[in-house]
Amino acid sequence: MNQTQSLSAGQPSFLELSMPRYGMVIDLKRCYGCYACVMACKVKNHTPPGVFWSRILKGEAGTYPNVVRQALPVLCMQCDEPSCMEVCPTGATVKLDNGIVIVEKDKCMGCKYCMMACPYGARYSVDKWESYFPDGLELSPYEEFAKQAWEERSGIGVATKCDFCRDRIAEGRDPACVEACPANARTFGDLDDPESEVSILIKKYRGEVLNPEFGNKPKVYYLAPR
Amino acid sequence: MTATAQNRIEEDVWIPTCCGQCYCMCGIKVRRQKGVVTEIEGNADAPSGRGSICVKGIASSHLLYDPYRVNYPLKRTNPDKGLGVDPKFVRISWDEALDIIVEKLRECRERDPRGAYFQATTTQASEIRFGVIGFMKGFGTPNYWVSGGGLHCGNGAHFMNGIMHVAWSIIPDFAHCNYALNFGCSKGHGAGHVAVQNATQAADARFRGFKNIVFDPFQSAQASKAHEWIPIRVGTDGAMALGLVNSLLNEHRIYDAEYLMYKTNGPYLIRPWDGRYMRDKETDKPLVWDLIDNCPKVHNDDSVTRVEYEDEAHEVALTGSYDVDGVECRPAFDLLKEHVKKYTPQFVEKVTGVPAATVSRIAKEFGEAAEIGSTVTIETSMGPKRIPKRPVATHFFRGTQGHVNSGWTCLSVDMVNHIVGAADTYGAALGLGAAVGGGYEGTGKPYQIPYPCPDGLLVARTWVYDHVPYPMRVPKPPTRLDLHDMFPTSIYNAFVITSPRWNEILERFKIPYKPDVMINFGSNSVMTMGNAEAVTENFLKKFNFIFSFQLYVTEFEEAVADIVLPDACFLERFTPAVSFPSTFSHPQGEDDWGWSIRQPVVEPLHERRDFNVVMLDICKRLGIHGAYYKGLNDSIGIRYGGAMDERYKLVEDGSVEHSWEDICDRLLKDRFGEEHGLEHVRKKGVFTWPKRKEDVYWKWFNPSRVPVYFEYFIDSGEQISRLWDEYGGKDFFEIDWSRFKALADWYPCPSHTETSPEYDMFAFYWRAVMHCNSMTQQNPYLDECSQEDPYVYAVQIHKDTAAVKGITDGDHVWLENPQGHRVKGWVALTDGIEPHHLAVAAVAGHWGNYMPIAKGKGTFFNDLVEMDLPHTDPLTFNQDICCRVKIYKAD
Repeated sequence: MNQTQSLSAGQPSFLELSMPRYGMVIDLKRCYGCYACVMACKVKNHTPPGVFWSRILKGEAGTYPNVVRQALPVLCMQCDEPSCMEVCPTGATVKLDNGIVIVEKDKCMGCKYCMMACPYGARYSVDKWESYFPDGLELSPYEEFAKQAWEERSGIGVATKCDFCRDRIAEGRDPACVEACPANARTFGDLDDPESEVSILIKKYRGEVLNPEFGNKPKVYYLAPR
Repeated sequence: MTATAQNRIEEDVWIPTCCGQCYCMCGIKVRRQKGVVTEIEGNADAPSGRGSICVKGIASSHLLYDPYRVNYPLKRTNPDKGLGVDPKFVRISWDEALDIIVEKLRECRERDPRGAYFQATTTQASEIRFGVIGFMKGFGTPNYWVSGGGLHCGNGAHFMNGIMHVAWSIIPDFAHCNYALNFGCSKGHGAGHVAVQNATQAADARFRGFKNIVFDPFQSAQASKAHEWIPIRVGTDGAMALGLVNSLLNEHRIYDAEYLMYKTNGPYLIRPWDGRYMRDKETDKPLVWDLIDNCPKVHNDDSVTRVEYEDEAHEVALTGSYDVDGVECRPAFDLLKEHVKKYTPQFVEKVTGVPAATVSRIAKEFGEAAEIGSTVTIETSMGPKRIPKRPVATHFFRGTQGHVNSGWTCLSVDMVNHIVGAADTYGAALGLGAAVGGGYEGTGKPYQIPYPCPDGLLVARTWVYDHVPYPMRVPKPPTRLDLHDMFPTSIYNAFVITSPRWNEILERFKIPYKPDVMINFGSNSVMTMGNAEAVTENFLKKFNFIFSFQLYVTEFEEAVADIVLPDACFLERFTPAVSFPSTFSHPQGEDDWGWSIRQPVVEPLHERRDFNVVMLDICKRLGIHGAYYKGLNDSIGIRYGGAMDERYKLVEDGSVEHSWEDICDRLLKDRFGEEHGLEHVRKKGVFTWPKRKEDVYWKWFNPSRVPVYFEYFIDSGEQISRLWDEYGGKDFFEIDWSRFKALADWYPCPSHTETSPEYDMFAFYWRAVMHCNSMTQQNPYLDECSQEDPYVYAVQIHKDTAAVKGITDGDHVWLENPQGHRVKGWVALTDGIEPHHLAVAAVAGHWGNYMPIAKGKGTFFNDLVEMDLPHTDPLTFNQDICCRVKIYKAD
């Protein structure tokens, strides 16, 4: 099949069909708000203080004694129609063929427009790298390593965000937050494959996205705490 | 092992070992890149964790490289000790430190070796098996202490679970349980033993529809995931449990007669005049009434014994009255059934705040969900066997047992399981850590199959401490500084050692020596026991010399340490047995057994040294290493399920100096064979072997019974009180000996009987998932998570209660108890707490100057914990950790 012809015909090409459209499912019945995902992401990506590519929000609903506290893990929703990409003046933010939204840091000019535009608060920018020990002490070997890793991979003064652990996916592994969860609350996979675990979970347990009214078509689905 | 400079350039390796952030000791893999520890993940090869670890473990690189770690030995130059005193530490060399320490120990040994007192943390539960036990045996001292562990979390729970399940704790068989009653414990929700694995199992269980009913004063993690959250007044779980027992027995008439007849002492006939067993004249064994032959039989007569479920036997009486040689006797179960009648739903509502209708309803739901009479067939090593299926469980831990009614509360909560036969069988309440096993096939070690005592009751073959829970030791004239050889029904006590009259007590009880040298390993007892002033002034300052192995200079070292030694953390050392004999890391259920080890991922940084290596060195310098080795040889046989083979025993005559790695290697080879020594096991960090199904669900394969009637407490109480009176103990403490009886009751804490309307709030503390013991707030990753969480550093209060008191969200407040002790915090308003309660998390509120990340975070709840006898359980000496307070704004 001629790729150009099929694209202009509005039909998915063979190449597009074979590319996964990556998404995630978070089961709020399984999740008990333990912060393992937050920490696994932080350590794997060497995010500095205040940066949480993976985060947990904790909410409470109801009146005593009919009260429930709920942990809500959030991250970049890897939207299919990302606000960040729409506003990026330099084209640094791109959506890959597999659906993952990334920042090409060398193209980013640090305007932070994307951070304002993202309705899920998923983007962070670090103007100055900071140690976790704020006393002007000599950096430990770990923090030297972390600083270098951050500056090389994510950068200073530019927009940064979760990229679904692209490097681990390339090795056939799951993202760090997914692997780390003791409750097996997070599942990662191809939303376009109806037999994938993510697709089955969404269908079987009526997975929903956060704030569909934003119109971003996020690819992180939540299973209600049923 | 250590990366050379050349290798470091390209190095990217993963090393299997075990985490040490808490006592669960999950298997981990640690990534070392260019010589630097960069990531920590779970080790899928280890049954402890099976590839998952918690937030604390993942955050461990900051623990290793924290610039505030103790990196070289320190000596106190300020002779003054106490809270708020500047120790004026100076750096010294290891040589100088060891010279001083050895000299002090030598002097102590000449005065009386029993003056040496070992105090250790609970998190490094495996390290202490060697450095502590070996030293104590070699040096000749009985004095040992675990600070808050034991007092706050163990005296009641471990003792009682040891009696009933030969384990330290109980947990639902999450894989097959359908309905559980969780009494305020975080098991399966972030904390407790086997924390991570239980969380995985609990999540899987939730997913398939398992219902967890949670009794808790506030919306804890477990309450937030519960099928039903039932708010309950703190410290009243025992009343609730006895209410459930009464409702099951007397209202709904639901109980597992088969189980009670053959697996408990329920049918044992009781003498009416003193509550003891009616015994056979010839054999002295307890009697039961055979309902077919219509006569008394000894309890283990073949005709009335069923070991396996398919065995056949005559039914024995559980109720009624029977003539034995002219004496009208009733079965113990009948007495229990009558005894609990006073725990009506209405009474329980008054005590607990739980509506009467709820008590009745929950009992019915639990009883019906137990599916009494149902069975399942499992594949054992002897072929397929049918066993009872009882897919319900009650479980509890620290919060429930941390009260003046600790012992009886634990027994009462567990009693609910035994009423319906839901103990150590399919789907039911299982012992945690799993403590029944036939050993590795090649060697038969570690062998730990419990057996019945002459009265038929369960005895643990392997137990973690000298304090075996049953049979009761006969109390002896005391030789310990805490008099604890007198008290067989508990593990530790604090009210003796923190009494301002401690010296007087020691003289009265004829202890011929005084506190002399304290060796501390990792504990911060200034913060983890109770009121810091009482602990420091009355207890710690009585020692002539204190040296401490520590990761940080904590409030303990600041206040009282003479020398601080830079300890290696879990990433920097070998430990030859991590998951054994520890009961904290074995998941219940059908997964394999795993004997985990630790190995260094990096050589100890700076001048840090491994505690066990240093203790060996000290023993060698004192010339007691032979006795140290003998101590290990002996204790290994008991604690690790099987005597040492002569080939691997350590040489006891002192002619050989074993290195620490040699000791590790020998232990492993002895347990698993010549080819399975250190070099083999370190490849995966764990040695595994399959678990027999009959060891998982051992109840209906073991001839032992468990008590529902605690007949032997009567003897214990009489023996202890008699010995106590010989010394005139009541000049110091009036111990309520009436607690030493056969049937459970609920007793109020001082917080329940406080009459002053000024102290109108019940305060308690809870476990936050990112914290363990008192050190974790210093880790900036964990501190950052804590600040993300709305409650971890706050005092939680109901928003309506706060409004009445003029307190708003974020206000700084004081919590003050009736004894005038007060602690400061800041408030988080919530709807998720019973309106008369205040919740504080963790051991927090550090004030020390050497842990700056931790300093000032959270509230130091323990300062409200009074260390006196009125706040101690007379039966188990567990600490009472709830209190009444008034709350008011701080200026």
